[in-house]
Amino acid sequence: MSTAGMRRGGTALTLLGLLGLITLYWMAFFWVPTEVNQGVVQRIFYIHVPAAWTSFLAIGFAALASGMYLWLRDERLDRAALCAIEGGLVFATLVLTTGPLWGKIAWGTYWTWEPRLTLTLLLWFIFIGYFMVRNATEDPEKGKRFAAVVAIVGAIDIPFIHLSVVWFRSLHPEPVVARPDGPTLPGDMLLTLLFGVLVFTVLFFGLFLFRYAVEGLRAEADLRARSAA
Amino acid sequence: MKKSITRALPLAVLALAVTAGAVVAQESAGMPQATRLAEQNLRPYWHVFAAYALVILVVGGWAVSIARRLKAIEERLVD
Repeated sequence: MSTAGMRRGGTALTLLGLLGLITLYWMAFFWVPTEVNQGVVQRIFYIHVPAAWTSFLAIGFAALASGMYLWLRDERLDRAALCAIEGGLVFATLVLTTGPLWGKIAWGTYWTWEPRLTLTLLLWFIFIGYFMVRNATEDPEKGKRFAAVVAIVGAIDIPFIHLSVVWFRSLHPEPVVARPDGPTLPGDMLLTLLFGVLVFTVLFFGLFLFRYAVEGLRAEADLRARSAA
Repeated sequence: MKKSITRALPLAVLALAVTAGAVVAQESAGMPQATRLAEQNLRPYWHVFAAYALVILVVGGWAVSIARRLKAIEERLVD
């Protein structure tokens, strides 16, 4: 896809995502009923879980692109991984800020060193580590290869985050959708949550395309600068 | 009219003193004051609003950052 095509696709998806976000806010505040046990604070769930899903999608996508980059050495794959990691960092930051806002009301504390929270923080540090490793070497090609390995290692954290609430004694609520016996949420809450997941995914890919266009243009500018020199 | 107000005033002052005394007594007994109760009830709402505002700020911030970088690269390419 050309840079112009990426920008057109990015604009369309981002606008669609923004429209979806407005609808999601309306659903979360005015349509879905208040949960009986947790009260109004449970509404954070409709943005917290989609943000977590999107950060997992981003690291998974980055790991796939990184693995293929290590194999094929195609610069476009490295650029795709870089852009996905940046998006992943944004959504992981949302997970780590909206979660504690819920936790303060539900648990009485913003943070506790329980397995899922600790592993999610580890994922956030892996996102940061990707950029640090990438820029830590004098040879940019070496930095890209090392960063690709970090992305692959980061993806290994995902099943541990998901299953930590099942494997260990944990304060964090157990999965309510991705369960072997099916979702346990009432229909309207499930619909709001799944719509949130869709909206965040569309927003991520919309902004990812824009970010990828930036990297494409940067590569072009670098190439022009090298040929001029 | 003036007479009835003069008669009611001591009663109003007495009622106020009793209410204030009751609040102070509750406070000293460790019972939550009305304002504190209201704060406790409103607190989850503030957390929900803060979480939803964070989504707009963080995702919006990323979008603005991408737009700025895109503009800078385009200017560099034009030069």
